[in-house]
Amino acid sequence: MNTPDNILCSKSHEFLSDNGDNTFTVGLTDYAVEQLGDIVFLELPEEGAEFKKGDTFATVESVKAASEIYMPVSGKIIEVNNSAVETPEILNEDSYEKGWLVKIEPTGNIEAEQADLLEYEDYKEELE
Amino acid sequence: MTKETFLHDKHIALGAKMVDFAGWEMPVQYTSIIEEHKNVRENVGLFDVSHMGEVFVSGKDSIEFLNKIVPQDISKLNYEKAVYCQLTNKNGGLIDDLIIYKLGILEYLVICNASRIDEDLNWMVRNSKGFDVKIDNQSHNYSLLAVQGPKADALMRKLGLTTQQESFTIKPDKIAGIKVLVSRTGYTGEDGYEILVENKNSEYLWDKILEEGKDFGIKPIGLGARDTLRLEAALHLYGNDLDENTTPVEAGLSWSIPKDKKDYYNGKEIIEGQLQHGGKKKLIGLKMLDRSIARHEYEVYKDGQKIGIITSGAPSPTLGENIALAYVNNDKEICTGTIVQVMIREKLHDAEIVKRPFIQKRNRVKL
Repeated sequence: MNTPDNILCSKSHEFLSDNGDNTFTVGLTDYAVEQLGDIVFLELPEEGAEFKKGDTFATVESVKAASEIYMPVSGKIIEVNNSAVETPEILNEDSYEKGWLVKIEPTGNIEAEQADLLEYEDYKEELE
Repeated sequence: MTKETFLHDKHIALGAKMVDFAGWEMPVQYTSIIEEHKNVRENVGLFDVSHMGEVFVSGKDSIEFLNKIVPQDISKLNYEKAVYCQLTNKNGGLIDDLIIYKLGILEYLVICNASRIDEDLNWMVRNSKGFDVKIDNQSHNYSLLAVQGPKADALMRKLGLTTQQESFTIKPDKIAGIKVLVSRTGYTGEDGYEILVENKNSEYLWDKILEEGKDFGIKPIGLGARDTLRLEAALHLYGNDLDENTTPVEAGLSWSIPKDKKDYYNGKEIIEGQLQHGGKKKLIGLKMLDRSIARHEYEVYKDGQKIGIITSGAPSPTLGENIALAYVNNDKEICTGTIVQVMIREKLHDAEIVKRPFIQKRNRVKL
């Protein structure tokens, strides 16, 4: 799968991608889905729900276990990827373009909240 | 420090994802749990289960000794036959579940779970007082490979297996030129074999089985698929579905306990009482009625009351449904067809009680 440019990654393996219109896309990194293995279930929040940075906003289940997904920055859910809910296995193919999870509008100080997120290259390096 | 089997390097070379299981670094998957699972149901799979324990029991009082530690009647076990057993404590609770094989006159092999080998040995030695018996833990000297699936028999023939075996038998044989003990047993619900081989030959045999198995579509299978395969077959996993506070009767294992065994065994009075009147709880199978997945330790409800707890749960790759095992109160109203609820992330999800096993098992081979 292609890694999009300009994403930031959290240490708990979520990515944040700036859409350039004061909205951001949030999902799981390729490393996260590879570690999870076959993804079989996804639970996403309702549109309009608001979460603080670090809150659990979604759950992903592989064959083996359920894992929580955390907000990389504070935000309001403005769009949910329903096709990922319908066919969660698309996350294993591509967690960025097809298998993104939600789009958000930041509700906190986005600059400050991004401070502990890593550029993709640095994130990859940190994993090694 | 985690332990490694003699096949550890093979798993790494095959790109397996390794996890800690009962203190052993074991392959959880090589490619995909679902793919590996389906390959065992459709073709054949090779498992490294060398973490399991092998204890040889021999001596003049072997039968009396084994009869004291399990509810099964070892005096009725014939030469080269195997029997599924439980190691029970004085309250009838399960210290482990085992397979006991009769290898010779007054010579038995006990296969136990990796996570329980220390407890088992301690209990066996403690109970051997007054018996003329030798308890010999050989776990560190043997590797155990499992070849499972509808094409397992054909593959074993190609590898040179000479003897014809029924299910639940064990025979010394030679495959790929290596001396082994071969039993027609497994933990998948499919036909298949388990091969006990000396450590020094295990890598050679592993490679040979994968090589000769190519024509049969063989794949190496990790513990992830082993777990979903055994769950579909409703085979218990110690630590999830069995523990020291659960009796064989409660675990749905009454079928394995003879009603007429004369000898005393640990927990006999409790187990015999439960065979007549039932235990405090009972094991049931569940099918989720939505897409949610019940997992170990989730609570089970009926009419708003907590009635039990999930012990194992996962998606079933064969059925395309999510299944689980649970203990519930031993109540006649809670039976096959009853709709119950499972608490998942603070919401109740409907599930139906269904018959176990969840799939048709195909592991009973008669000659």
